Amino acid sequence: MRWTGRVRFAFLLPAVIWVLAFTVFPLGYSLYLAFFKIESKVEVTREKVPVLDEQGEPVLLSSGKPRTRNIVHKNQVTTSEFVGLFNFERLFEDPQVATAIRVTAIFVLVAVPMELALGMLLALLFNQQLLARSALRTIMILPIFATPLAVGYLFFTIFYEEGGPLGFLGIPFLSDPDWALFSVILVDVWQWTPFCFLVFLAALQGLPDELFEAARIDGASTLDLLTRVILPLLQPTILIVLLLRLAEALKLFDVPFALTGGGPGIATQSYSFLAFRVGLRYFDLGYASAMAYVLLIVVMIIVTLFFRRLRETYG
Amino acid sequence: MARSVGIARAGAGAAPPAVRWRPDSLRYAIFSLLAIVVAMIFLFPLYWALSTSLRNPIDTFTVAGLGIPWVDFEPTLDNWIDQISTAESRRAMANSTIIAICASVLALILGTPAAYALARFNFKRMPNRDITVWFLSQRVLPPVATVIPFYLVMRALGMLDTHIALILINATFVLPFVVVIVRQTFLDLPLELEEAALVDGAGHFGSFWRIALPLAMPAIAATGLIMFAFAWNEFLFAIAISSKEAITIPVHMAGGVDSRGVQFWFMAVRAMIAMIPPVLIALLAQRFIVRGLTLGAVKG
Repeated sequence: MRWTGRVRFAFLLPAVIWVLAFTVFPLGYSLYLAFFKIESKVEVTREKVPVLDEQGEPVLLSSGKPRTRNIVHKNQVTTSEFVGLFNFERLFEDPQVATAIRVTAIFVLVAVPMELALGMLLALLFNQQLLARSALRTIMILPIFATPLAVGYLFFTIFYEEGGPLGFLGIPFLSDPDWALFSVILVDVWQWTPFCFLVFLAALQGLPDELFEAARIDGASTLDLLTRVILPLLQPTILIVLLLRLAEALKLFDVPFALTGGGPGIATQSYSFLAFRVGLRYFDLGYASAMAYVLLIVVMIIVTLFFRRLRETYG
Repeated sequence: MARSVGIARAGAGAAPPAVRWRPDSLRYAIFSLLAIVVAMIFLFPLYWALSTSLRNPIDTFTVAGLGIPWVDFEPTLDNWIDQISTAESRRAMANSTIIAICASVLALILGTPAAYALARFNFKRMPNRDITVWFLSQRVLPPVATVIPFYLVMRALGMLDTHIALILINATFVLPFVVVIVRQTFLDLPLELEEAALVDGAGHFGSFWRIALPLAMPAIAATGLIMFAFAWNEFLFAIAISSKEAITIPVHMAGGVDSRGVQFWFMAVRAMIAMIPPVLIALLAQRFIVRGLTLGAVKG
């Protein structure tokens, strides 16, 4: 039974209005900006003013002239010009964009499957009888909420090639372009495998015992049990975790910012990182908005693909 | 496997079985060893941060092996004291705390009634589940798409580098979480109590405030803790908006690396300061994390 009183809007609307004001409006504004070439410049002008003493009289130099001091006026001047689809056209010709797409695609396509597969394996392991199982499970939870930026800096000290704890491996973790991208992936795998693990473990423990009994009586092998019983039953959970990880992985920013600074060169400059730099470091705001919008559309497509599943989950 | 799953669940938390030679003991030993090794690998980076933060700067690269305090080097709290005694550092800690608390409280105040509305009322024109998914999809959006307009609006309003700007944006980020998770909590509550209150003339606000809210409070509090951790960890908007007065711990950390170069001992202390509160929250809200992070889709 569900109620229908008008009072329902009083409960719902504040949050809806909030989202419209702080998410939907900025997104609309961002789309508008994407059609403009925006240039922000700081104009500096200097003005000489006489120095006054406490009585308000000008202070005179020994030469008899009034002493002066400079006042610096900084004035931010923003000009914008409608350029139509120009910003979107630029995207296709910009080699930095091509690299950023490649970096982000490799990151997502390697890190996310690794996290899901490893998380599932660990969940199956922890679903067994183990020594100190709940203590070990607690340890596994620790990385999930660790501040991503701090994690990036922390792994910078770990991957440090001259004297870091992994120095004995002789691997150019941060100085070689390919290894640097892999290092970013490793950090993400460290932080997010525990999340997949924890969710899968919870889902596994929610499966009824009778199921395993029945499978055992039918003489199913361990592999059969996994592929024919466990994975199909866990499919809704796996899809939700996949969606959440895909969406988060596409936002990749904090870890390369701290771990590699996008380098060496631009070898680990993710798409979000590039958009951030273009918009808020070079202040090419229109171009950055266009760039961010393309990412937004990609994420929307992914969400739409999952939409039916989401509706069922939250129905 | 089938059998051991059954045993594992029945015997969770019970003492390990008596050690007697049988195939299962070997399996138990191998799996336990494997699990311990995995857990140690995942723990190592956090342990390394602690170890580095306790070292005298000259010991940073000379410490051998696993860098165990008292064994491999003489630990010192000097780095911690140095770091915490700077005004900028203390300001960053205060800012992060204020911003994360205000943002999560604000999101709870806005989100809890909306969650209640979606759990209890029928919205005719747009089905409830579509409204829920609409909220959910806000969470999935890439923040770079909103950071630029948000920056421009805050600049126009003269609100760059203010706490309020960061509170507003963090509340916006965690609001969808609150709506979706708390909605699930309300759905799990029995309806009868609220119906009884309605019959007694309490009205919808009364039954929400006096019946549903107190019953959902533990879950709402746990949600608030997780939202605090999210807001605490946020970096993209913090570095876009804040420069001096409103810097949060991650922004302070990023700035420190620029100006001080690679000083691993300070980096480790700052990383610890940043990570300790959210990691403690993960432990406190352990039972609630699965539901929290999957937005109520999987019950932990």
